[in-house]
Amino acid sequence: MIEAAIPEPTARRHWWTSPSFLIGAALTLTVVATALLSYVWTPHHPTQMAILNRLKPPSSANWFGTDQFGRDVFSMIMVGARNSLAVGLGAVGFGMVLGTTLGLLAAMRRDGLLDNAIMRSADFTHAFPAVLTAIMITAAAGPGMLNAVIAIGVLNLPYFARLARGSALQVWTRDFIQAARGHGLSNWQITLRHVLPNIAGIITVQATIQFALAVLAEAGLSYLGLGTQPPNPSWGRMLNEAQTFMAVQPWLAVFPGAAIAVTVLGFNLLGDGLRDALDPRVRRAR
Amino acid sequence: MTTRREFLAGAGLEALAAQLPVIALAQPKDSVTIAMTLEPPTLDPTSGAAQAIREVTLQNIFEGLVRMDRTGKIVPCLAESWEVAADNLTYRFKLRTNATFHDGTPFTSELVKFSFERAVAPDSTNAQRQLFAPIAAIETPDPVTVVITLKQPTANFLYGLAWGDAVIVAPASAANNKTSPVGTGPFRFVRWNRGDRLELARNDAYWGAKPALAKATFRFISDPAAQVASLRAGDVDAQTNLAAPEAVAQLKADPKLKVAFGKTEGEVILATNNAKPPFNDLRVRQAIAHVLDRKTIALGVYGFDVDLIGSHFSPLHPAYVDLTNTYPPDLAKAKALLAQAGHPNGFTCTLRLPPPAYARRAGEIIAALLAQVGINARIEPLEFPQWLERVFRGKDFDLSVIAHTEPLDIGNYARDDYYFQYRNPEFKALIAKIDVTLPEAERNALYGEAQRILARDAVNGFLFVLPKITVTAAGLEGMWTDWPLPITPLAEVVWR
Amino acid sequence: MLAFAGRRLIAFVLTLMAAALVIFLMLEVLPGDPAAVTLGLNAAPEALAALRAEMGLDRPAVVRFLAWVGGLVTGDLGLSYTYRVPVSQLIAERMAVTLPLALMAMTLAAAIGVPLGMLAAANHNRPADAAVMVFAQAGLAIPNFWFGLLLVLVFAIGLGWLPAGGFPGWQAGAGAALRSLALPALALALPQAAILARVTRSAMLDTLQEDFVRTARAKGLGEAATVLRHALRNALIPVVTILGLQFSVLIAGAIIIENVFALPGLGRLVFQSIAQHDLIVVKDLVMLFAALAILVNFLVDLLYGVIDPRLREAA
Repeated sequence: MIEAAIPEPTARRHWWTSPSFLIGAALTLTVVATALLSYVWTPHHPTQMAILNRLKPPSSANWFGTDQFGRDVFSMIMVGARNSLAVGLGAVGFGMVLGTTLGLLAAMRRDGLLDNAIMRSADFTHAFPAVLTAIMITAAAGPGMLNAVIAIGVLNLPYFARLARGSALQVWTRDFIQAARGHGLSNWQITLRHVLPNIAGIITVQATIQFALAVLAEAGLSYLGLGTQPPNPSWGRMLNEAQTFMAVQPWLAVFPGAAIAVTVLGFNLLGDGLRDALDPRVRRAR
Repeated sequence: MTTRREFLAGAGLEALAAQLPVIALAQPKDSVTIAMTLEPPTLDPTSGAAQAIREVTLQNIFEGLVRMDRTGKIVPCLAESWEVAADNLTYRFKLRTNATFHDGTPFTSELVKFSFERAVAPDSTNAQRQLFAPIAAIETPDPVTVVITLKQPTANFLYGLAWGDAVIVAPASAANNKTSPVGTGPFRFVRWNRGDRLELARNDAYWGAKPALAKATFRFISDPAAQVASLRAGDVDAQTNLAAPEAVAQLKADPKLKVAFGKTEGEVILATNNAKPPFNDLRVRQAIAHVLDRKTIALGVYGFDVDLIGSHFSPLHPAYVDLTNTYPPDLAKAKALLAQAGHPNGFTCTLRLPPPAYARRAGEIIAALLAQVGINARIEPLEFPQWLERVFRGKDFDLSVIAHTEPLDIGNYARDDYYFQYRNPEFKALIAKIDVTLPEAERNALYGEAQRILARDAVNGFLFVLPKITVTAAGLEGMWTDWPLPITPLAEVVWR
Repeated sequence: MLAFAGRRLIAFVLTLMAAALVIFLMLEVLPGDPAAVTLGLNAAPEALAALRAEMGLDRPAVVRFLAWVGGLVTGDLGLSYTYRVPVSQLIAERMAVTLPLALMAMTLAAAIGVPLGMLAAANHNRPADAAVMVFAQAGLAIPNFWFGLLLVLVFAIGLGWLPAGGFPGWQAGAGAALRSLALPALALALPQAAILARVTRSAMLDTLQEDFVRTARAKGLGEAATVLRHALRNALIPVVTILGLQFSVLIAGAIIIENVFALPGLGRLVFQSIAQHDLIVVKDLVMLFAALAILVNFLVDLLYGVIDPRLREAA
């Protein structure tokens, strides 16, 4: 299912003017900027409780209202962005580094025992329903941000392993690889000097898309109580708590969900834009 | 239901709708659907600790020699009367002569002996074996008399016989009680759709007063929002304890529903590991007590006022003493006490929380309160099995929030190996004395003293008692609104 | 073809066995004692030991694993630790919620996604196309559990048309049961509808480029007729494939949606069982979910082998 097209270097035209890329970049930048800003400024302290000021609708004092403990929802969402991005970064980083390494290794030892072992394991991991794997990992290791990162990272692994292997195999058939071999470079050297740089672009695009999926997965796990733990604000858990108070204070259920949707949309669009940049041929079909 | 009502209203037929209750009055309803939050895992109260088993079965399907009434008093049940000998060691029970099990087995003294001996047999999975520990011998001089001899005087022996763990079962049916219970109660088991509902029908051969209800259905609705929706739509006639305190205002405003706030025996505490530094230092525990603003915590958890406690005792019990002002909220004093204890800048510890909403919410507020004096309590949520394993059995914790729902369980503080590891010889001596003090006034005075010791020593953070929020349809009467024992007897429930 | 099918079948069985081993090992790691959970705070050690023996927990791990796998093969899924009834009975009861939910969601996803995709392809590069693409992007970005909450907010709390959660049971009548499943099915269907819209659109665009479609156009057939009569039929293969693959995704997605709507289905049972440490139910359920996903993968592989003989060599 994964398109393993290798970019033609001459194909780059004005891809940065595509609406997908522009909107995606703008949304992504907003989220990242919010997350960074939350380190130096939030309108209120994000975990400061004011029980008497609980469940208030949006106002000039609390732009997104307050939760059941009287905390400022806007400030919590700002800090929540930090946590979402951190989990995304950790999980995709984990999956990307490990998956790409395994994929490159598999391509190097094509059809060998190692290749088969790696790819069958990837297939196996892939066959497991994603939520279940995550639930089992967090059930065994306990809920928490780090375990969520590992659980989502494990889910990312097979995508990167398959993509890296597929793309690398194409590179291995190219003429310059033969030339490099002629110069007496070892498989390892060829992989590092020639194969990896050639597949880096497509891996990056995949990483952007996976990032969106990771943010969604983190929100889902946190909603189920398996992700980021209190008092550290997390969008998914905010939604879980909001559900209880939905009849009393519906606003609580609106903002954290919108934050998730905006972030996922941003990364999806950015990924689409970047993919078009790598391979203009797919632009027509999309 | 909703649709029909809206259809009527939408069609301008309010007049007809208003007449419906009148029509209902002419033919009194004799069935009821009652929602509860947790589903029982099995239906045998003599095996397994789940409260939900007792809530459904005790005093409905199963009965003991005695039972607890809605005020917490012990009254006759399968035993018509009893005498206690002067040495407080021999109990002679006179049994009912007309009681039978739902399968026709007659109730006799032999079955009492069978039930109690079964509870302490080596392969017994009774969760409260200690209730039967004081028994030295059980004699059955004739079919309607049981004589129980105790090893030592035990003040709360009868009290324990009212629990679900001490119900009378019959040899022929005992093994299958988990899935098809057979007892002597006013209702018999009909059907159980797991995950959804359980149906009971009136036992027409019941020895006592005939219940008004012919049919009763328990529905298991764990989701708070769904509980509210089912009540408002009329899908259920009552909710034994509403899990959605935030919806109370909305339900109170509904003329078709009644909301009652009751008390329970569930003391919610900030469990503290008294054996572990720095919590082994009284000053640290006192500092924490000064930080715990119970009113704020309760408000944050429930959104309305609930009964606060200052020791490990429920206001439901006549021996209750109000000790909530032992360590009033005072941050300056808390900081001073921490400084004296050698922690001027506070310290870091863990706060391991079991799943119930009251624990998770209270825990979050407590962590925020403790942060004000520099105590950084890191929240670790645990599933209940892990909580049992690590906190309760492993004693591997600093702080935790939990409700102790067993009635009159202050005696646990006399157990050295109990998870919060409070060790006080003075307290142990007091509890031993209570066990052999049978006159009620004297015993209650001793209970008062026990409460004061625990409050003074700030053994745990004493927060509030779990409220019982009973929501019923306007015409339904006779439901228990307090929980001296967390059960839902249906014998006196009736439509008016 | 037979050799290919045989190879896939061996891989399928091996994968199932590996899954069983991984699940067993992972769940053995879980801390907590099911017997302690059943007997609660005041349990005596003798009672715990008695119950552990009754549950078969006193046997060595290897014996328990073999007994479990043996049971799976013969259809005996064991006895639930908490409910004390056969797990197969529990699963059958819960299946009566999850299966209709997944089927409803799949039907909804197809009913929404396929026409939208066709609409977009027929109006390629026009506003309708753009609108469908925006819908698809939004459908992929909105978490289904949040969409579920919004549906509850509007249709249950706001308008009061449909229940906010819970399930009355099929004995309450098909109407009442279906009303309870409507919102969760819609929430579950949204992302799948978005994916289907995109797949339908690109498959249609591909076939619209094919020669026979051009011929049809040249013959003067109207645009709508062309799309419906010729392009759709050929675009259906990838669409149906995706639909098949989505079924296991939907069953897994039900895990979270059932929790949002408090539906007594398989997903909620997984959660309950983990919370009550009913490991035998957890093991069986996870195995069931995994086996379903592995089976769907296997069938799709086989199907592709039938459609495209070249793949038989590659496998």
